[in-house]
Amino acid sequence: MKTYIARKLLALPLIVLGVSLLVFLAIRMLPGDPARMMAGPEAPEAAVEAMRVRLGLGQPLFMQYFGFVVHAIQGDFGISIRSNLPVASEIANRFPYTFALALTSYAMAILIGVPAGMAAAVFRNRWPDQIVMLLAIAGASVANFWLALMAMNYFAVELHWLPLLGAGSWKHYILPTIALGTLPTALIARMTRSSMIEVLSQDFIRTARAKGLGSFAIYRKHALRNALIPIVTIVGLNFGSIMGGAVVTESVFNWPGIGRLLVDSVRYRDYPMIEGVTLLAVVSVVVVNFLAEMAIAAINPRIRLT
Amino acid sequence: MAVHVKALRGVALLCLAAASVAVPGYAGATTLTILQSEPPRSMDPADQGATFTGNVLMPMYEGLVTRGEDLKLHPGLATKWTVSDDGLTWTFDLREGVKFHDGSDFNAESAAKSFHRLMDEKLGLAGAGRLRPLLKTVEAADPKTLKIELTRNYPAFLDLLASPQAMIVSPSEAEKGDLNRVASGTGPFKFVEWSSGDHVLEEVNPDYWGEKPSVDQLKWTWSAEQSVMNMALQTGDADIVNPLPPVFAASIENNPDLKLVTGNGSAVFWVALNVQQKPLDKVEVRQALNYATDRDALVKALLHGYGTPADSPLAPIPPYHLDGPQPYPYDIDKAKALLEKAGVPDGFTMSVAVQEPEANIAEALQGMWAKIGVKLDIRRLESGVWTKAAFNDPEAKKADNLGSVVASWSSGGFNPDQQLRPLYDTSSWAPSGANLGFYSSKELDDLLDTAASTAEPAKRKELYDQAQKIVNTDAPMVLLYVTKDLVGVKKGVDGVWLIPGGDIRATYATKSSN
Repeated sequence: MKTYIARKLLALPLIVLGVSLLVFLAIRMLPGDPARMMAGPEAPEAAVEAMRVRLGLGQPLFMQYFGFVVHAIQGDFGISIRSNLPVASEIANRFPYTFALALTSYAMAILIGVPAGMAAAVFRNRWPDQIVMLLAIAGASVANFWLALMAMNYFAVELHWLPLLGAGSWKHYILPTIALGTLPTALIARMTRSSMIEVLSQDFIRTARAKGLGSFAIYRKHALRNALIPIVTIVGLNFGSIMGGAVVTESVFNWPGIGRLLVDSVRYRDYPMIEGVTLLAVVSVVVVNFLAEMAIAAINPRIRLT
Repeated sequence: MAVHVKALRGVALLCLAAASVAVPGYAGATTLTILQSEPPRSMDPADQGATFTGNVLMPMYEGLVTRGEDLKLHPGLATKWTVSDDGLTWTFDLREGVKFHDGSDFNAESAAKSFHRLMDEKLGLAGAGRLRPLLKTVEAADPKTLKIELTRNYPAFLDLLASPQAMIVSPSEAEKGDLNRVASGTGPFKFVEWSSGDHVLEEVNPDYWGEKPSVDQLKWTWSAEQSVMNMALQTGDADIVNPLPPVFAASIENNPDLKLVTGNGSAVFWVALNVQQKPLDKVEVRQALNYATDRDALVKALLHGYGTPADSPLAPIPPYHLDGPQPYPYDIDKAKALLEKAGVPDGFTMSVAVQEPEANIAEALQGMWAKIGVKLDIRRLESGVWTKAAFNDPEAKKADNLGSVVASWSSGGFNPDQQLRPLYDTSSWAPSGANLGFYSSKELDDLLDTAASTAEPAKRKELYDQAQKIVNTDAPMVLLYVTKDLVGVKKGVDGVWLIPGGDIRATYATKSSN
């Protein structure tokens, strides 16, 4: 276990370095010239050239990347081309919003998805199962920006129950959470159902019934614990799509997180900011996957990580 | 495990706490919230050229002259001015007793420093492009007199001085290098904060020399989602939405709680034709495309009626716009005859580069031009990619086989030079300017030079009339339409006015409490 963790931790910097190179090159392969975007359409070529020098884009690519890595190791991700703010402090200001939204979305996914999936498994092929599965298919298929706009129109514009934009109070969390949390809720409900059905058909459940345990205790103590492993796996694997969903959800709700920051940065070819945000997203996905593996090992003593 | 769960919960709570934005304010403060379609690019008025950034900055800054609600120029930080007979030397008497928001004094010295920033090539400010070539020297003759020498006679100089890029900034803040994130001018509002993901907040400047605003705070927010802009007005998340997407204009007009403020727009939309490419090098072909364009249908379908068909390279704003009949009324037969005359009776295939949000323009034209056998090959591009493709030089455009570009240009409508020179002058061939189709006419170039240095209004008007006629005849572009400026406003909010081209002024707006 310890060697396993150590190996994973050692691999982390290599993954990040590899990803940083990919991100760095991919962004620069995008057509579009940040110097021209900054200088404006009327600017004469000389002014665009001056802007290129000011933005440090005049150097050869290799030197740019080398400088980027050397500074990044020291926690300096450069200065945003667009806002002139240090990338690191800008991301530090905005990441908590994205992280908080990811947490509330996961909370929704687990608090609704797990009980709904359990109910579907227990009442297999009966109406609760059919309703839950219908909703799960709908939830997994619907585009989150469409859901976001519909929810905004109904709860904020028509009913005036919830605020529309921004992140001022707990009420502001509800609609973005629904928009971002629906997909993982649906996935977890489906995963819980199939994994519970499998567990419920096993011998130790029959034994538990035979020794006179009540249904609820069986479901909660024996079945759920065993069914948890695939659920935790889903939570871990799904974090990447939560980060991806945040890009859309945050833009629609004016949520001041890194998803919206990324959209604004791509529009202005703000290279340092795109690099910083993408790297952070990658690192957080890698870390969450790692934590999920640890959690699985903790839940299931039979799994030995070596 | 239990310990871990608790620790995680702690982290979660911390994040939730950190992620609650508290907007500074005080009980009873009136805040006017303005939602625009894009975030500000800088707090330095000279380091940007974006209309919607200018709107955010204008309440905090002042220039030597200022444009009033009557759209005329009025004294600002200068109380009066004179110009020498050769038009090269401008002398400004400056207002006394004015202080910057950081407490330092405004005087001729600080005004000069503000212009020196624009002239500094090394500083390379993004918004300096228009003024830098004009400014020769700027100096303080005495503490209350500023003297500006121009490189050439430019009667529309005062118009430039009213633009955001010419606003006077605090020299002490500029020296600190903070201006791009902290605004500091002399205006009736002063900067409070720029939360880059959320808003810019401004509050009334208690030491302002002139009339005090009615509201206590201005809060600027932004969203690129058109339907969100509309919803924000309905819920009250925004008091003012600029620009209001035309698709929502009718519903806003019919809603008793909301108002639609419209203004003459100055954004002319067009398709630049690459006149170096065959068969677009033939004027008949370009004219044929113009005749085959149903502009009324475009205005109706794409702008929901909130616009005017373009009939000249200038927006229909007096006094310079050439009034008269549409030079290219919709006429398929005439278009076909012209194609035949040019030797391409069966039409041709042409590529067009268009930005994703404007792709519907290209799609409409595709249908219209198909009727004369012109097949439009549409390239829908993300804005950064489009900018690169559109501003390629002749060689690169040839290699790219790019025949045309859909674009728009807005210059406020007060100074035709800013609309005509960048788009049609030979010196403005891309990438140096926005002459994206490489049109060139010696006659037009000369006319533009003469007009720009002509101060006498009637003569100037005559020269610009001629220029518009030349562009109309040579048809280097298919001119499409001019949008109207649309702004959605909540009932109870008054005193919002527009400058053609998307500029909104809400500094002296009032907001009733309900």
